[in-house]
Amino acid sequence: MKASNAAIPDSKQSQAGKIAFRPLDIVSKGWSWLFLFVLIIFFSLTGQGFLNIFNFQNIGADMSLVLIMALGQTFVILSGGIDLSVGFVMGMASVAAALVMSRLGDSAPLFVVVLAGLAVGLGVGVIPGLVNGLIIARLRVPPFIVTLGMYGIARGAGFILSGGQPVSIQTNGIGQIGNGYLLYYLPDGRFSFFHLPSNLQGVRPSQIIQLLPFPLILLVVVVLICAWLLSQTRFGRHTYAVGGSEEASRRAGIPVVRHTILIYVLSALTASLAGVLYTVRFSNGAADVGDPLLLTSIAAVIIGGASLLGGEGTIFGTVIGALIISIIQNGLIFLGINPFWQFIAVGAVIILAVLVDQAKKRLV
Amino acid sequence: MEDTELGNKSLSRREFIAGTAAVLAGGSFLAACGGSTSTGGSTSTPGSTSTSYTFVLIQGVKGDPFYVTMQKGAQAMADKLGVKLLVDGPAQFSATLQVPIVDAYIAKKVDVMIIAACDKQAMIAPLQRANDAGIKVISVDTFIGNGDYVNGPVTFPLSYVGSDNVQGGMIAGQALIKAIGNKGGIYIENVTPGISTTDQRQQGCVQAIQATNGAVKLVGSNYDNDSAATASQQVSALLSSNKGSQVNGIFGTNLFSAEGAAQAVKNANKQGQIKIANFDAPQGAITDLNNGAVDLVIAQKPADMGSTAVQFGVYALTGKTSSIQKRVATGYVVIDKTNVNDPASQAAIYKS
Repeated sequence: MKASNAAIPDSKQSQAGKIAFRPLDIVSKGWSWLFLFVLIIFFSLTGQGFLNIFNFQNIGADMSLVLIMALGQTFVILSGGIDLSVGFVMGMASVAAALVMSRLGDSAPLFVVVLAGLAVGLGVGVIPGLVNGLIIARLRVPPFIVTLGMYGIARGAGFILSGGQPVSIQTNGIGQIGNGYLLYYLPDGRFSFFHLPSNLQGVRPSQIIQLLPFPLILLVVVVLICAWLLSQTRFGRHTYAVGGSEEASRRAGIPVVRHTILIYVLSALTASLAGVLYTVRFSNGAADVGDPLLLTSIAAVIIGGASLLGGEGTIFGTVIGALIISIIQNGLIFLGINPFWQFIAVGAVIILAVLVDQAKKRLV
Repeated sequence: MEDTELGNKSLSRREFIAGTAAVLAGGSFLAACGGSTSTGGSTSTPGSTSTSYTFVLIQGVKGDPFYVTMQKGAQAMADKLGVKLLVDGPAQFSATLQVPIVDAYIAKKVDVMIIAACDKQAMIAPLQRANDAGIKVISVDTFIGNGDYVNGPVTFPLSYVGSDNVQGGMIAGQALIKAIGNKGGIYIENVTPGISTTDQRQQGCVQAIQATNGAVKLVGSNYDNDSAATASQQVSALLSSNKGSQVNGIFGTNLFSAEGAAQAVKNANKQGQIKIANFDAPQGAITDLNNGAVDLVIAQKPADMGSTAVQFGVYALTGKTSSIQKRVATGYVVIDKTNVNDPASQAAIYKS
């Protein structure tokens, strides 16, 4: 499409049209940021207690699972595919990590236990991603079908691995890492990093100010890595290219098969990371913990501006998409209206996002 | 050159840095304005004045007649005692979905949180957060830890108000064994592993079967993830298989499980031959009982759970902590064709 436009010299009219549309272009590019901003203002005015650093910290920490999963999903959708298996890959990884961490128990220092759990969780989770990528790239089966099949396989594998029951971890320290904060601040001015101050005489738990939950810090780091990966590296550019046109990319010399495999491995990796994060937060791993998050992860990517056909979208867009969904869910609770409206609200926003996207194409 | 093709789709370096800066700036902005309006560091009790307490009832899942009946009982007591009651719950019975709801109500600074936890292990950390924020936590229906809030691993909740589900499973098992003539095979259709209540019901039923010393056997069990459709599929498959003839009785550990099992038995034309015990008593179960699809309905008392929990919450807020019992085992009503029209049975039906 773009190539043919470039061949036609710009007439005076189309040049004027371009300048006139630029402000609209900015709004349409940034509409989701704008919408998010409006939502925050709206909920702050209508719900007391919403605009509060502790509430936002909780929103951030609770959103971390879905968003980490959605980051990998962004790469997949950008490349023109989709990954339906991420929910149960997350579950598999959480089970594997929980099994390792509960077996090691107290026999090794805490960070070794967590690292071992992380390594095994990611290692187990990468396998479905590899299989997905190989079948999609080499055997040319559509991603929807392959990942739908893997949805079932990962589900069964997760339940078999866990013996049908959630796997609990009894070591206390794990929960502290998953739920800990970077900075603790007491009313008398004392503060400490990474763990609660030692002398808590006379201090009630509600007086302790906790800043920067670990899941949120992890989330920010992963977001920045993925944003860098997508926008600053050749891998990222290839992702857009393959999403735009697989045939053209192949002819341009991009190693499409290898790239496709890497994309699905990346998606499985982020889903596994979400699974390990779940295990560390809740001291528990089960095969179905990621199932409720699958559709939300796809919705976040779409609301963020990615096209389901591939080739368009950004990491920050997905972040905004996930934020919009979480803030709607959280804000409606503060508003105190019937919780079922939350489903309608999120569904409406998804449709709105696609409509804005289409309008953008017609205007520009 | 690259930018003309991909320029409006991917980020340039400038946009990436600008985006990161915006995110960090936005974060600090929120921290700054949030910090000044927060009351996280204050010494006052969360939420309201002494005359208007706010309670929240967090159900295990939305739209389940059991929890709707619990809500009604809780609301009646809340109205009687003059406290405000909010009700919420996740779309599926899942800890992943219940946690953000708990966090939002912590931020909303309710005074009392009455909750049917979706997972006895995963919900410990979030509820601990609620407790640390000064919110009184009361368990209804399901528990966290092992339910013993005096000597168990988790002791911060004020009380566990719910059925003794092992006893309930045993009652259901014994009634079912009697209904099938004290010999034959029983199959258990369960919900999801990890839910304290349904796991205990299975445990109780298995104990009742073992007590028959071999006269009655456990043919098998399965999990349907709280879906009547899945339960129906699983039981249909069982009845068509070579194990099908061994099944004389089926115990559905919650209402969707029993509903699905009843449907499958109906489809196989074995109504009346295979006896079904249905744990939980929504109107649908009573209808099934009346037309013979199901033979036994074991009703819990969710309305009692709700009202007792609200009562305990008010005791805690008004200093009457000695009136709070750490464990209240609400009872059962066993309904069958002979007593379905008695006032006690009618009152026990879950009204949605």
